[in-house]
Amino acid sequence: MKATAEIAEKMLEPLLRLRDISFSYLMRKGERLQVFEKLSLSVSYAEFLGIAGPSGCGKSTLLRVMAGLLKPENGEVLFRGKPLREPTPRISMMFQNPALFPWYTVLENVMLALIHERELTREEKEERVKVFLDMVGLIGFETAYPSELSGGMRQRVALARALVSQPDLLLMDEPFSNLDPLTAISLRREIETLWQNQSLPPSSVVMVSHDVEELVELADRIIVLTKRPVKIAGIIEIKLERPRSRRSKEFYEYVDEIYTLLS
Amino acid sequence: MAISLIFSILFSLCVGISAGVNRTAEKILIPILDVFQSIPILSFFPLALFIFIGIHPIIGPEIAAIFLIFTSQVWNIAFGVYEAIKLIPPEILEASRSLGLGKIRKLVDLYIPAAFPKIASNLPASWANGLYFLVACEIITIGESKWRLLGIGTLSTEFMLSGRILEFWISLGAVLIAVVIMNLFLFIPLMRLSERYKFEIYATEVPRVWIEKVTRPIGEAFRRAFASLSSPRYEAAASSLAPLTAKLKKYRKPVLALVASICLIMILHGLSSSSSLEEFAALIKGFEKLGLVDPLIMIGFSLSRVAAAIVIGLAWVIPVTILMHEKRVLEKILVPTFQVLASLPATLLIPLIVKLVLDLKLTLEVGSIALILLGTQWYLFFFISGALRDIPREEEELCMALKITGLKKLRHLYLPRALPSLVMGCLVAMGGGWNTLVVAERIVLDHFTWEVENPGIGKALSEAVSLGDLSAIVTVTIWMAGFIVVLNRLFWRRLYEKAAEFVGAAV
Repeated sequence: MKATAEIAEKMLEPLLRLRDISFSYLMRKGERLQVFEKLSLSVSYAEFLGIAGPSGCGKSTLLRVMAGLLKPENGEVLFRGKPLREPTPRISMMFQNPALFPWYTVLENVMLALIHERELTREEKEERVKVFLDMVGLIGFETAYPSELSGGMRQRVALARALVSQPDLLLMDEPFSNLDPLTAISLRREIETLWQNQSLPPSSVVMVSHDVEELVELADRIIVLTKRPVKIAGIIEIKLERPRSRRSKEFYEYVDEIYTLLS
Repeated sequence: MAISLIFSILFSLCVGISAGVNRTAEKILIPILDVFQSIPILSFFPLALFIFIGIHPIIGPEIAAIFLIFTSQVWNIAFGVYEAIKLIPPEILEASRSLGLGKIRKLVDLYIPAAFPKIASNLPASWANGLYFLVACEIITIGESKWRLLGIGTLSTEFMLSGRILEFWISLGAVLIAVVIMNLFLFIPLMRLSERYKFEIYATEVPRVWIEKVTRPIGEAFRRAFASLSSPRYEAAASSLAPLTAKLKKYRKPVLALVASICLIMILHGLSSSSSLEEFAALIKGFEKLGLVDPLIMIGFSLSRVAAAIVIGLAWVIPVTILMHEKRVLEKILVPTFQVLASLPATLLIPLIVKLVLDLKLTLEVGSIALILLGTQWYLFFFISGALRDIPREEEELCMALKITGLKKLRHLYLPRALPSLVMGCLVAMGGGWNTLVVAERIVLDHFTWEVENPGIGKALSEAVSLGDLSAIVTVTIWMAGFIVVLNRLFWRRLYEKAAEFVGAAV
């Protein structure tokens, strides 16, 4: 955790807070599918929060509510104490699929996240984009198009795009599930290092995943959800030294604990 | 021609994007487009000519011609844009929302590029369609008055009629060369460029032609032109537009109300004027005159002609496309050749077919079916070959591993995979067939007229057009368009849904 005094002070008030939110989808036959019913949870400053749950329970929906992409029917979403009404550059999102614009180069794709920075000149924007591309190991690929990159590299572009606006909160929807295991390992490492570095964004990360080991490896706290309508089955704090070894006995005790809650 | 094509693209972008983005707009616009698409364009023309000549006697016919060509080009582009917008992956939409792209940025950065491949791939077809009706409308006779527009259509018909066969072939060759040049220097580079704009990661390769090496620089020039769109100059323009849109947003309701009231006043004005009342009465009379049984008989005959043409078309298209699919070398030769042939307007060949039929002493039914075939077969070809190209490679490999070949492969792989496109191709081809009827069932070349022996709806329409009988034109058109809409809704669409369900594709 980032344990500076300033951040510790802020931790009294959560960065993002969902209060009694309800959400349902309208099915094709006119029935309502209740996803959440009065669900409350919060994301603290400098926290890496993991969310686990059975497949199809609404983890992705929850993340989209946090991003301001979906509006809850009831309850409120508070970001830094203020209601969140629409997506903001302060919260960025990484999807399961990189969602890059195929007609733009790597540089242009990442630069799209800076369109609201009106005071920056184009050159300044390019400089900043290059800093972040360097950080995710993509320097030299600025003029490549997404179709020319491998899956792992595309996801790195998506990561650079999510970080370049220097958000307070990074939301990730199963970001490693479409990658091969080796690529996933290196990308996980990079995200952990970035988040641990205090001078760099983001302050907090929320990651949704069905891979329990991945969550135990990265998260400070894991919220385990039940099937629909979603309730919190349990919250587990992971108190392991970083970087965490997947081989240790303690690691597996946490993994088992979560599997017990899931089943 | 070019003017109307640019209009078509702009119109398609407006309509297609608004229908693709806004649910309410979709519910209103798509059925309207569907109906308009079904109305045979040639029956539009006399009406348009009447109206535009009323506006200005000299430039009126020119505007009417542009309008006709516009209507022949616009529908497939508009539907293509709509489809492309609908197929944007949801994650891309969410990404652009969470990046906070505003309305203008979304239009420039997302919707227009996403629609680009569809526009590029529909351009050749639209161009060919335009040429087709250009030839058809350059000489249009309404009653006594005859409007002549200068162009290749008038020229080649004159050559044929005056028996100057050599000149006729030269004019045909000239059109062919023009078509080849258009393909090489405009359509193919544009399509190449558009490959990058597709969302599929493993987009299927369009077969390359050796001659493209020559045209690559042109594609690059296009690319640079597009790239300059995102230059700082453009960004400045976009940001200066922002306050304007904010203002527009603020006054949206009053502006909408104003536009709506203007439309209403215009409609009311049109209805209240005495002439329109008379026209309405004439229309009713037209329906009475036509009765109920006659049009159905005419439609029945016409339907069987169109169906015959489609069956003949399928009979050659299916084997050829499969052969082409299995022997990639053939594809490299045939696809570009057919592309050129397809964009050669069938109307230019009318004199030739008439001559052939008369020389061989065949009935004109054969000639009319041949003409309809010319207007339908390319749709079948391009739809089916496209479907075969999209067959997943794993399925091909599985067939190879299990040694499924020949007819068995046709039954287990090709037909099921091609089914939705086959149905869609038949639907579109049939639309093309209905359109051709007007020129196919009753051929008018200057003073000469040849017509099919049996009744037909196209023949009736053509007769009404040359008599200048406006009420008959309108009533026959309504009968025909109504029948096409009913047929599409009750038969083709349902068949398509069934076919799509069968292969497990999303409808």
